[in-house]
Amino acid sequence: MVPNPRFKQVFVLSTAMLSFISFWKAAAIVLCDFGSSAYYSGGIAMRAYGPAFPWFVLGVMLFAGVMLAVYVESCSMFVRGGVYVVVRHAMGKFVAKIAVSSLVFDYILTGPISAISAGLYISYLAKSLLEMAGVQFPFSPNILAVVFGVAVIAYFWKENIKGVKESGDTNVRIVLFVAAIAVVLLAWSFFTIYVRGFTLPPFKLEFSEEALGWSKHISWLQPIGMIGIFMAFGHSILALSGLESMAQVYREIEDPKVPNLKRTAIIVFIFSVLFTGVLTFLSSLIIPAELVAGEYSENLLSGLALHLHGPYLARLALQILVVISGGLILMGAVNTSFVGANGILNRVAEDGILHDWFRRLHPKYGTTSRIITMVAALQIVIIILSRGNIFLLGQAYAFGVLWSLVFDTLSLVVLRFKETEIEREWMFPLNIRVKRYQVPVGLISVLVVLLITGVMNLITKPTATIAGLVFTAVFFTIFQVSEKMNEKKAQLYKPDEDKDEELNLRREADIQTVVPELTKARRVLVPVRNPNNLHHLTEVLETADDETTDIIVLSAKIAQGIQSGGESMSDEDKEVFSAVVLLAEKYGKTVKPIFVFSNDPFFSMAQVAQAAGVDEIVMGVSGSTGAEVQMERLAMAWGMLKKPDAPAKPVLARVVWEGRQMTYQLS
Amino acid sequence: MIKQSDGIGLSAIISPENVIFISGSPSKEEAVRQLTEKMLPRVDGLIGRKALFERVAEVEKLNQVLESGFYIPHAKFPQLDGFQAVLGIIPEGFTDQATGLKVRALILLLSPHKPAFFQRHLNMLSLLSQTFQPELIDKLAALKEPAAAAALVTGK
Repeated sequence: MVPNPRFKQVFVLSTAMLSFISFWKAAAIVLCDFGSSAYYSGGIAMRAYGPAFPWFVLGVMLFAGVMLAVYVESCSMFVRGGVYVVVRHAMGKFVAKIAVSSLVFDYILTGPISAISAGLYISYLAKSLLEMAGVQFPFSPNILAVVFGVAVIAYFWKENIKGVKESGDTNVRIVLFVAAIAVVLLAWSFFTIYVRGFTLPPFKLEFSEEALGWSKHISWLQPIGMIGIFMAFGHSILALSGLESMAQVYREIEDPKVPNLKRTAIIVFIFSVLFTGVLTFLSSLIIPAELVAGEYSENLLSGLALHLHGPYLARLALQILVVISGGLILMGAVNTSFVGANGILNRVAEDGILHDWFRRLHPKYGTTSRIITMVAALQIVIIILSRGNIFLLGQAYAFGVLWSLVFDTLSLVVLRFKETEIEREWMFPLNIRVKRYQVPVGLISVLVVLLITGVMNLITKPTATIAGLVFTAVFFTIFQVSEKMNEKKAQLYKPDEDKDEELNLRREADIQTVVPELTKARRVLVPVRNPNNLHHLTEVLETADDETTDIIVLSAKIAQGIQSGGESMSDEDKEVFSAVVLLAEKYGKTVKPIFVFSNDPFFSMAQVAQAAGVDEIVMGVSGSTGAEVQMERLAMAWGMLKKPDAPAKPVLARVVWEGRQMTYQLS
Repeated sequence: MIKQSDGIGLSAIISPENVIFISGSPSKEEAVRQLTEKMLPRVDGLIGRKALFERVAEVEKLNQVLESGFYIPHAKFPQLDGFQAVLGIIPEGFTDQATGLKVRALILLLSPHKPAFFQRHLNMLSLLSQTFQPELIDKLAALKEPAAAAALVTGK
């Protein structure tokens, strides 16, 4: 359809289609972070407390199911949740800043540990291949891993500066490939056990000197009994890293949100138990114990591939595939560390606790390049300082993982008493109703486990404790200072000239350029104006079938005598868009936001509706004119723009308000 | 459900008797006032002068000139059983202060204030705005006689 040439065209600003992802994709995104620990957690645990490691890694993976359930409750309360938001609601900004500092520590360490682990797998493979070829080339896998790690960080730094975002499709492909390799490893391992028989690993804790940390100097804190179990659990807890990704991805999950989140959690849980838990366990049954502690402590799954029952070349081929799959998922985790750290720091920046200097957009790519560069610089420094020692990195990594989980769980407990009215679509089990409170016995039990483990980790991991506390203190200070500076700035507030870019708006020649993006059979136009009057949009989001319906959300700004196309959005206009985005995220349904400048909102409404060939127009009631006048204006605008030869497609117009609606069929 | 296609044509409401040409360049209020004067005899016995002028003035504040330069001041009265209309043609036109648009044709439309009639009221507004496009308004402004204007609009 060609725009009606007789009338002045509206100026159109458009954002990308707000679309949502399936639980499969969400699970793949989480697993690219969470699943990657399978490649290094077993080796780190073995070095810490000896041959009982498979029991604890399996135990931690089963505990992951509990933590996933904790995250399901927190996500069901806050669409844009995560540790920072949950802690802020429960205990205020001060504690939230501490919690988010430890979470940033977790995200920043995800990059080095993943890049080093991938580098170690590649280095050991190269060593095997060189030895097989009879080439004597002595090199240190750890130094090669450092070089590789720095190169990987540099690559993802560049990609993230350019704004290459995590693609759900890429994650799905990586996870499918990794899953295929895991299935081969599992099947071949069971075959090997069937042929060779097996002996269960001893449930005996043999802590290394390094793994006892300061506890050596505390006479009553001996690594035996429950104390030993918690110490060992603490040394395995790094396998839980990546759970925060589920909170970050929740806003992108499609309708129905909470049921799909539960499905995501179940997939992540099953994959993690089988991939990390069971494969680590099988490794201990198949690889001789001395090799687990030695040659394969830094590349456990390669060791598993090489010690399966079968021809050497087949095992070597499987090792190559294990290294490729590990490389892919671990590099996916490196990218997640950039996206996650950047996302979280942007979130806190929106809340005014990170100075705008960090948020300055890259002039060419429009990304928050200063945050990305800071993350990359810290990761490279950590890689160089670690000298490729994955055990050291693993120790430090557990600090951020554990304390962010402690703060998240503690906050949920607090919220059960503080926010009794807030909607919870799902609650962590084991609750006792006392008056208006759901006393969270289950959550409190989880919190106790996490707290004891956290305290044990503080004592047994001196390097991690010092590094984690220093890092947390530095970031906390940055947040504190930033907040004070932003408070001063707020008093001298000046409008930001670059706000359009932050919303990632693009200027369209006319409405026709937006139409090809609409691909579903049914189209509904929802005009919006007031961020506090979106009842009609809520009604559409609640009832529309996302599979078959495109929801176009139109915000028309009245601009008299517009001519130039140089108009820009005000903060109030952006508030409307933000409210729309939040609602779409809440319901997980695809919406296409369009912002137009027009001297008549009903004219632009009819123009967009006719250009897009909508089936329905759903308006909210106007407090100033009322539904009848709205219908009259729409009818006039519709008739004025209607072409005599236009197909007589019936279009339903509705004005919706609390408990009532008025309908009219345009044709 | 309110449906648009109920078969009402413009010939039912526009005839040479309810078309006026307004000379000069009156204000919007003055143009509407002249149309209301012309309307008065058509609703004699149903709506009093004061009530008619007051209601038209009241709703006129809510009405807007269309992008095509056509203006439809309209009001609903419970005393009416059918549409009443007066078409005004202003060859010189006036500039609407609110929109900056040049108005050379306007129609005062009165409709019955009955829920069952609202669909037809909307249909009529849509039909009028669809019919009075800039090309037709140009032709109407070039005419001199109400009969010719009515014939052009109704196609008879």
